[in-house]
Amino acid sequence: MAGDQKPPNTGGSGDVPSGAGQGWTALSYLIGGMLVWGFIGWLVDRWLDTGGIATGIGVVLGMAGGIILVVRRLGTPT
Amino acid sequence: MFGQANVLAQGQAEFPPSVGDFYLPSILPWGAENSYWFTKITAMVWVAVGILIIFFLVSYRNPQLVPTKKQWFAESIYGFVRNNIAVDMIGHAGVRFAPYFTTLFCFILLTNFFAIVPFFQISPNSHIAFPAFLAVISYVMFNYVGIRHHGFVKYFKNSLVPPAPWFILPLLIPIELFSTFIVRPFSLAVRLFANMFAGHMLLLVFTLGGFAMISANAWLAPVSVLSWTMTIALTFLEFLVICLQAYVFTVLTASYVQGALADEH
Repeated sequence: MAGDQKPPNTGGSGDVPSGAGQGWTALSYLIGGMLVWGFIGWLVDRWLDTGGIATGIGVVLGMAGGIILVVRRLGTPT
Repeated sequence: MFGQANVLAQGQAEFPPSVGDFYLPSILPWGAENSYWFTKITAMVWVAVGILIIFFLVSYRNPQLVPTKKQWFAESIYGFVRNNIAVDMIGHAGVRFAPYFTTLFCFILLTNFFAIVPFFQISPNSHIAFPAFLAVISYVMFNYVGIRHHGFVKYFKNSLVPPAPWFILPLLIPIELFSTFIVRPFSLAVRLFANMFAGHMLLLVFTLGGFAMISANAWLAPVSVLSWTMTIALTFLEFLVICLQAYVFTVLTASYVQGALADEH
């Protein structure tokens, strides 16, 4: 079956996971971002007694981070 | 195993069903309380392993150039996993993972399928232990493969440091760490477990609900029949979920291996 071989991986942007894998990766970045930085913000909240502000900032930062990661890891190559 | 039918006929089954319904009575020692060393679940796992080993051995014991029906079936499964999962996700390097992915796919498919086979009627995967262990195998495998391919430092640098300007890296690295090394095994295990658990629960609710209604009031008999019809419809839905979850688990494992093998960006 030499005829139906795919071109070998050349590295770089050709290595993004295909299809379903890509979808789950994107989802886990978006949710993971909010959870991780939300948790860190919550810890800061407990530490400084800021009453939830740090958690909010953390969640927003995490969302931004998740979106950056999706764009950088899965987006179209520049 | 046959106790279920008697219980249903006598209208003794409890409604609503609870988590306790997933803990089946001990077989060895017979009828022991709170002993889960050998239950129907254990037996089903061994049956699944046995069926798979015997099926693949028998169907490939005397391979023909023009395959027999059994050989064709076995080769189709392997070919499907090899071409549509391993090679599709990983590329050339994926062929050497195809045997494991096929084993994984067949094992999950068969153990899931027990959920709707008469007299089995529960999937071992509706206990978190089995999906969890499969997820641990996948987790160890993709990390091992990545470390062997890139070397320890380069592997973690590849998977933790995304291509981004240095000043947002502190924001991104914790997210990468969390989503790559912590969430992956959990999401693999929980996705399979929750689907099989919920499927079994749904079937229980509609079956037992029918019995509960008909024994509460004979006038509710039509609703009971409707409830049992729903059970049949849900069994078909269950079949879809069974195939889908086996596929998703294998595809995601392949995708993680691909991520571990990928060259740096």
